[in-house]
Amino acid sequence: MKRQWGMVIDLDRCTGCEACVVACHAENNLATVGRDGAARGRTMHWMRVERYWEGEFPEVRLRFQPVLCQQCGDAPCESVCPVYATYHNPEGLNAQVYNRCIGTRYCGNACPYNARVFNFFNPVWDKPLDLQLNPDVSVRSVGIMEKCTFCIQRIKQVEIRSQESKQPIADGEIQPACVQSCPANAMVFGDLDDPKSKVSQLARSNRATRLLREVGAQPNVIYLRSVS
Amino acid sequence: MDRRSFLKISAVGSTTAALDACGKPEHHLIRFIPEEDLIPGVAVWKPGVCTQCRAGCGIRVRVMQGEAEVTRKSKPGLISMGLAKKIEGNPEHPVNHGKLCAWGQAGLQVTYNPDRIRFPLKRSGQRGSGEYQAISWDDAIAELASHLPVAGSSGSPSPVAFLTQPLRDHRGALIEKFLAALGAPPAIHFEFFEQTVLRRANELSFGHRQLPSFDLANTNYVISFGADFLGTWNSPVSQNHSYGEMRQGRTEQRGKFVQVEPHMSQTGANADEWVYAKPGTEGWLALGLAHVMISERLRPAQAAGNAGALIEGWSEGLPDYTPEKVERITGVESGRIQRLARGSAAHSPAVAVIGGAPLAHTNGFSNALAVNALNALLGSVEKPGGIFFTPRPPMPSLSTSRNSASVRTLCEGILKGSPAVETLLVFNANPVFASPPAWRVQEALAKVPFIASFGSFVDETSVLSDLILPDHSYLESWVDNIPESGTTEAVVSLASPAMLPLHHTRPMPDVLLDVAHRLGGDMARAVPWKTYAGVLQAAFEELRSHPGSVTAKTDDDFWTAVQTKGGWWSNEAKGSPAMRELNRPPSPTKIVEPAFDGAASEYPFFFLPYASQQFSDGTHANLPWMQEMPDVISTAMWGTWVEINPQTASRLRIQKGDLIEVASQHGKLQAPALLTPGIAPDAVAMPVGQGHEQYGRYASHRGANPLKILAPQTEPETGALAWAATRVKITRLGKKGELILYAGSEREWPSQFQHR
Ligand code: SF4
Ligand code: SF4
Repeated sequence: MKRQWGMVIDLDRCTGCEACVVACHAENNLATVGRDGAARGRTMHWMRVERYWEGEFPEVRLRFQPVLCQQCGDAPCESVCPVYATYHNPEGLNAQVYNRCIGTRYCGNACPYNARVFNFFNPVWDKPLDLQLNPDVSVRSVGIMEKCTFCIQRIKQVEIRSQESKQPIADGEIQPACVQSCPANAMVFGDLDDPKSKVSQLARSNRATRLLREVGAQPNVIYLRSVS
Repeated sequence: MDRRSFLKISAVGSTTAALDACGKPEHHLIRFIPEEDLIPGVAVWKPGVCTQCRAGCGIRVRVMQGEAEVTRKSKPGLISMGLAKKIEGNPEHPVNHGKLCAWGQAGLQVTYNPDRIRFPLKRSGQRGSGEYQAISWDDAIAELASHLPVAGSSGSPSPVAFLTQPLRDHRGALIEKFLAALGAPPAIHFEFFEQTVLRRANELSFGHRQLPSFDLANTNYVISFGADFLGTWNSPVSQNHSYGEMRQGRTEQRGKFVQVEPHMSQTGANADEWVYAKPGTEGWLALGLAHVMISERLRPAQAAGNAGALIEGWSEGLPDYTPEKVERITGVESGRIQRLARGSAAHSPAVAVIGGAPLAHTNGFSNALAVNALNALLGSVEKPGGIFFTPRPPMPSLSTSRNSASVRTLCEGILKGSPAVETLLVFNANPVFASPPAWRVQEALAKVPFIASFGSFVDETSVLSDLILPDHSYLESWVDNIPESGTTEAVVSLASPAMLPLHHTRPMPDVLLDVAHRLGGDMARAVPWKTYAGVLQAAFEELRSHPGSVTAKTDDDFWTAVQTKGGWWSNEAKGSPAMRELNRPPSPTKIVEPAFDGAASEYPFFFLPYASQQFSDGTHANLPWMQEMPDVISTAMWGTWVEINPQTASRLRIQKGDLIEVASQHGKLQAPALLTPGIAPDAVAMPVGQGHEQYGRYASHRGANPLKILAPQTEPETGALAWAATRVKITRLGKKGELILYAGSEREWPSQFQHR
């Protein structure tokens, strides 16, 4: 069955709490780089919450916007990789084969969303913090590009279970870590090709928009505009 | 031969084998025989309870087989065991509905923290030096028991004091039983962002000495006075959850949200309208809104229902709170006051919330009463879309009636020498870090002859102890919790350990039971249980006859079923218990002027410390995930900053990142400047949580601690610290500070995201 995994992020619900940011670190074995690494801009976040100020005191307000890999349909990162480490998988995911990656970082340059991060060092976990590592996700080493995978390990797990049990995947059964944690229910994940799925219904909302639409990368992350 | 002794022998046997095997030191470890049956690669989800804040969210812990270096019978070794790999919310839990906040997500780093204390320690160097030697649990417990004199026959109390984080569980009840049997005063509960003022106001206004819950999902208008309810305050996950529903959960209605505060918080950032009121004047604004509602007859008085007594005498229309008068005091324009009042009255159901800085002024109590009365006028008390109080579960084992002292009076007592404190027990409370210098906590503790602490980490307080009896982490323990708020059902969360302990630690309540039994006699009889699990099992038997989420024929079945579910909740009887009849609720028509420490001429800035999104009161500063999670507003990581309005900064020729000295009458600190439009020109703000001297490798010697320059101002009704009542001056030091920001530019929000 053809599927197109996608996500809707409702900016009217998002409160900027960053549960998604930490959930992603925990699920996907993201390294922390410490003070010095952070000062050099080498943090490894796959999910970030951008914030923008408007106005001046006291008529001031702030906007939050969670940004992750937009899993583009026409991904600028895919065409520039000389070794096909980043490629388009049959379910519309923009996937990354770590052991093909040779670290040219072309993909990182090409990504209009700044979604990709590079391992400048081998990650270190002070023992026993290594015990927190998720055995379902490979740990990346120095010289490798990485980015949000839509928690592909969770997708695969449900797909395999569904194949075994011959039960179709229920809408909402797959939740990436950020979606599962989000306390405001700002994020919804599912099959955009299924017109009845919650994600595709929300994607048809008149508040729907895409980040940097003009670039033409056809993101599969759809934002719902905030109302006020 | 039983299984245990077999394990012992094989463990010893394999040492030599391992020693021969390899030259690397970590391979010299003994390999222990696994204590659980595990299938590699298969995850098991175990229910748990989050203890990262007081909200008491239900969690599920993903446990998988792995190899861990552990301590067993005081020996280090390797074992194959079930390890917690991920924490998620429990979808059935009435507080958090399967969701978690960032602190809850970071819980794994508490258990796996490299700076955890791994075995009992006895001080070997000078007090405070952090020099300790390992001792056995037997010796540790004997040592503790020898320092627990019971009350004298003359009626003098036992000179033992117990200082703990606030506990809403049976550990708290056990501590009280233990202390009562010793003849010692009740435990002293300490956390920096305490909620005494609001609890006391709610007790007087509504008959509930507790934090409120809000039915935001059905609200059409929220006006919040300083409450960071989407970030760090009260029950954040439950509040985020219902906030999302309020905004986009209903097709025809989108609730409106107004935030009044002196400095923009993460919560305030989400408001449709953000209102600045001068610090400490929030009560006036609340009554100003009430004035407009009454004079324009926007709310019928009978709408207040049982809360009517709160607004008795308001029929004259609060003449002292006309919009013009309130404008002069609060700085909020009179036209805006009228607009807000009309808006909230028109969008019924509306609800008012108060939390954070408005409660932390010397007039915090009257601010709270004013907002409570505003809720009565809005008709929101115990009505859909309004304010509720979570009922207590029918568990008599929890009742405690003794009133306890505060850390401040404890320290005053110690410094005066009366009442005598010979032994101080400390559990997860760090007042040396989180108190104003004038309380002289460190000096007082230095005078106590014997201090024992139970925490998992060496912090500024536990480093003063003579004996450390390290606790299990919450994932390794039996945990229970009674949420104070965040739901309209009575809830008791419960969890058995999700994993075996990594280190040679012991749960605090088990240590108390061991000690009591070693002391014998009345002590042992007062707490007859062998383990904390036994305490809980007995307590849960009380629940079985009450209708709730778990039903079972026998106590044993019930006990198993509540563990599987993650607790018990009364899924009948939604809504709070009826308000208790009140004799004379205080009529909040007189707001007291706030007092500030420091003359405005010399100390021109209000100083606003606030609970950090990353670290709360500093408790989470030792978690690398939280250090590297950018603060969502400043985007700063691994540090502290001082928030300054850009106008003020340009007047003082301060640029982003310049090192600033912030000085009050009580101390000074240095931190880099962050220019931000979310703060008034006459205020500076700082997040609390960094500036630890002693809190492991990730937190120590990083940033500055704003609490160390606070004045010891108090709120007179409760004696609570008025932590927003200090004034400061700032000076540019002429060099750069360390400011690590995640984001570069600040203003590039694409207008396409505005829905018009
Ligand atoms: S967890 Fe949800 S509400 Fe919180 S920042 Fe992420 S998207 Fe926003
Ligand atoms: S609000 Fe966050 S820290 Fe508090 S109990 Fe819930 S998940 Fe844990």
